[in-house]
Amino acid sequence: MITISILIAVPAIAAVVLLVVPFARQAAGYLALLVSLAVLGGVIGFIYRFEPSAGYQFADNVSWIEPLGVRWHVAVNGVSLAMIAVTALITTCALGFALWAKRDRSHASAALILMTEAFLFLVFAARDLFAFYVGFEGMLIPLLVLLVVWGGAGRKFATLQVIAYTAFGALLMLLGILYLGLTAPNGPNFDMAAAIGRGGDWVFFAFAIAFAIKSPLFPLHGWVLPAYREASPEVAAVLSGVASKAGAFAFLAVLVPLFPAQAATYAWVFIALGTIGFLWGSLLAFRQRDGRGVVAYSSIAQMSFIVLGIFLLSDRGATGATFQMVNHALVSAALFLVVGWLETQVGSGSFSQLGGLARRRPVLATVSIILGMAALAVPGSSVFASEFLIMLGAFEYHWWLGVIVSLGVVLAAMYMLRWISAILHDRESGLAGTLNPLDLKQGALMAILPLVLVLIGLSIVPAQLTDRVDASAQALMSAAAEEAGR
Amino acid sequence: MIKVPDVNWLAIAPMMTLMVGAFVLLLLASFIRGRDRGLGTVVGLIALLASAGFAINLWSEPATTTMAGALQIDQLTQVVTVLIAGCGILTLLVAFGWNRMRENGGEFVALLLLIAAGMDLIAASNSFVTLFVALELFSLSLYVLCAFDGKSKASLESGFKYLVLGTIGSMVLVYGAAFFYGATGSFGFEAINTALSKAGSGDALVILGTVLVLIGLAFKIGVMPFHMWVADVYEGAPTSVTGFMSAATKIAAFVALARVLLDALPAMRDTWAPALIIIAVVTMILGNISALVQTNLKRMLAYASVGAAGFGLIAIILGGAAGTRGLIFYLAAYAPMAIGAFAVISLHERDHKGIATLDSIRGWGFDRPVAAVSMVVFLLGFAGFPLTVGFIGKFVVLGSAVEGNHAWLGVVAVVASVVSLGYLLRIILAMFDRGAKSGVMMAAAPGMGLLNLAIVLCLALVLVGGILPGLGLDWAADAAKSLAAGR
Repeated sequence: MITISILIAVPAIAAVVLLVVPFARQAAGYLALLVSLAVLGGVIGFIYRFEPSAGYQFADNVSWIEPLGVRWHVAVNGVSLAMIAVTALITTCALGFALWAKRDRSHASAALILMTEAFLFLVFAARDLFAFYVGFEGMLIPLLVLLVVWGGAGRKFATLQVIAYTAFGALLMLLGILYLGLTAPNGPNFDMAAAIGRGGDWVFFAFAIAFAIKSPLFPLHGWVLPAYREASPEVAAVLSGVASKAGAFAFLAVLVPLFPAQAATYAWVFIALGTIGFLWGSLLAFRQRDGRGVVAYSSIAQMSFIVLGIFLLSDRGATGATFQMVNHALVSAALFLVVGWLETQVGSGSFSQLGGLARRRPVLATVSIILGMAALAVPGSSVFASEFLIMLGAFEYHWWLGVIVSLGVVLAAMYMLRWISAILHDRESGLAGTLNPLDLKQGALMAILPLVLVLIGLSIVPAQLTDRVDASAQALMSAAAEEAGR
Repeated sequence: MIKVPDVNWLAIAPMMTLMVGAFVLLLLASFIRGRDRGLGTVVGLIALLASAGFAINLWSEPATTTMAGALQIDQLTQVVTVLIAGCGILTLLVAFGWNRMRENGGEFVALLLLIAAGMDLIAASNSFVTLFVALELFSLSLYVLCAFDGKSKASLESGFKYLVLGTIGSMVLVYGAAFFYGATGSFGFEAINTALSKAGSGDALVILGTVLVLIGLAFKIGVMPFHMWVADVYEGAPTSVTGFMSAATKIAAFVALARVLLDALPAMRDTWAPALIIIAVVTMILGNISALVQTNLKRMLAYASVGAAGFGLIAIILGGAAGTRGLIFYLAAYAPMAIGAFAVISLHERDHKGIATLDSIRGWGFDRPVAAVSMVVFLLGFAGFPLTVGFIGKFVVLGSAVEGNHAWLGVVAVVASVVSLGYLLRIILAMFDRGAKSGVMMAAAPGMGLLNLAIVLCLALVLVGGILPGLGLDWAADAAKSLAAGR
């Protein structure tokens, strides 16, 4: 029986091999890409064998650290499998982009990206709180080195911010995990199933703060902008695409099922913060002067929106939030790669240096417009479907919440259109005017295209995803929804 | 006619091996000057391995006392013996390529063996007298070792400061022990415990004694406000010695504290626990904040070590089976990280031919990728990141705090950890500073291989201990049963 452990093991082992064995530069990049493709293939295999109504599957549950009562318990349901799939895809694209960008010390950079993937898989698949913590904080290690060694000029400040924020949250959560694990009846037991409903308010908030920082949820988003600005494009894609999803995913798959009573009681806090963050992030995205700023703030806004969707504590909200997590992962990763590609070609990401790029660059224009349309949730796009689900949930919650949220969706249209017009349509200005007309092609295009294609695919057949996650999302939500009387 | 007490030679074989090794080495060294280094290292390694071997052999023996009850040979003693031997072996590997080893290698190793013997005796001590003798045996040798680089003013200063402040600590400890003798008529831990639990803890003499003993041991551990010597001594001492100190001295001093507070003075808990809580909180926060402003790496890690000592106190405060197991595992976990980190600094000093500062290591990580990546792992281990043994250490100690309803101490520790990230990251950022290529790349020198071996060994210990700590936790739990509180 092949279990989900193999998905975690393959990139982890590959990462160690790549770090230790001195491969030639190109070889290392291609090898890492090959590994990530194999992992992606494996994920597709799991998706086909997945039984939507059967709960957690492909499980492994063996003793890990006997004296502490820690077990290696991993399994996936629809929601985690969706996140794992999108992680595998984005990792592959990130590695492809790194290969195209010819990073120096490519074996180390590829190894660290694969290591991040392994940690993320662990976060999404862990059913034991200890293992979950290992993934949740462990992913900081490769991300930290990726930022320090390959980041931009302001990487020092960015690294300090990322690590201080997220480590603080994670350590608070560690105290909560210790409480849940050590007070279990019949000796220490860190299994999530054994922790349901046992935590008090402080444990709930210890977890919630950790997840809110990671997501990020307003007002704990301070680390996001410097990190997204200074990371290399492929790392920013992984960060905003999937690393941040670890936080939102944890809200949905850990916090809400483990603390149904507190989730119901304090749902309004997260709905309020989510609403504020959604509007605030969207407004700030509108004011940014460069591509990364727009994508970063739009990420903050979208993540707040997703958290809001989760804490509606309704089936629609949960499915919508999962769907939106996948969509936003694809959109933001692709946008970061496009923006990063532009920066490497033009030498600057500032709008004042860009403009009129649509001329003589049909591929770039097409990709950008598809992504822009997806991000602003044009009807027919997959993002529209997921946002619609969350908005519907919001209207069910209260009509005025629905109205406010709709306002945020309109703002999203504004900043995305502004981005498109700033880089594609204005007069050729600044550095862009003096460029030789290189279009998006070959390597970089190959790295971005899969994300766009999957996005289009999901727009055409969204049921492929929703059918698989529906039952799982509802199961995660059921206890809390009952508590909340919904 | 004085009655000679029975001596169980097998039980004290681990310590005797070390002492015999030291004396043999001192004798031999005076005959073959000039080839000290190789001889010293070989004899030292043999003695340390033999001592660890004896201790492992004794592991399954029942606990005994020997030398008229002055020594207690139990599993805690064995665990400490093995740990100290491990620290000693790694230190020998690190020190081998050091200049001074070429001239006075024999003396260096002999002193190291005496220190190790003293530390083992501390773990075995069953009365204040043995404790004091053992403490002085290791302290006096360590003062000399700190001042070993006689040509360096910093090293002499380090040894001298350590001598003066360490002696004050010892004096205060002895003074406190005298009060207990006055109140209970005995120096033995068990007798004191029995007398105190009968007589109650209200006696002013006993309270004063407790405070003095606590201060004396706090000096040795280097917790605030008795930490003034730590940074200067760590900075001035030869780097290999500093690594040994931060790992092994911490083990010895903490085990002494555990023996005294948990075995001899559990009745005085109401006196020492509140004091320790205050000391722990202040030390964790201020130790890490002090490290933030340092630029000299050894000073920085010295303050980090002060902060870590504050964290270790949590486990003693909580006591119990969880606390004592946590303490022993935490001390064991700290050792490879500390020795490894100082070994990397050693390597840098040899490359750079000067002291290691945040400036001097700029860009050095690209010249020495293996050492630098190891350093990253050690530093993240200090901060308690998962998959390092430091995480498991943090996990068990914080676990004991949460279990003992002192979760707020855990919150303080969390805040301190986040502060510590500030300076740990500065080191990492400096090592991988692309802007400045350090360019100093020393040709392979004798001893470089052994130093690298030590770093890689520490790295392996940190990672294996972080991923599969089950066995180590079992040993720590067994050893904890040697303490009254651990049963």
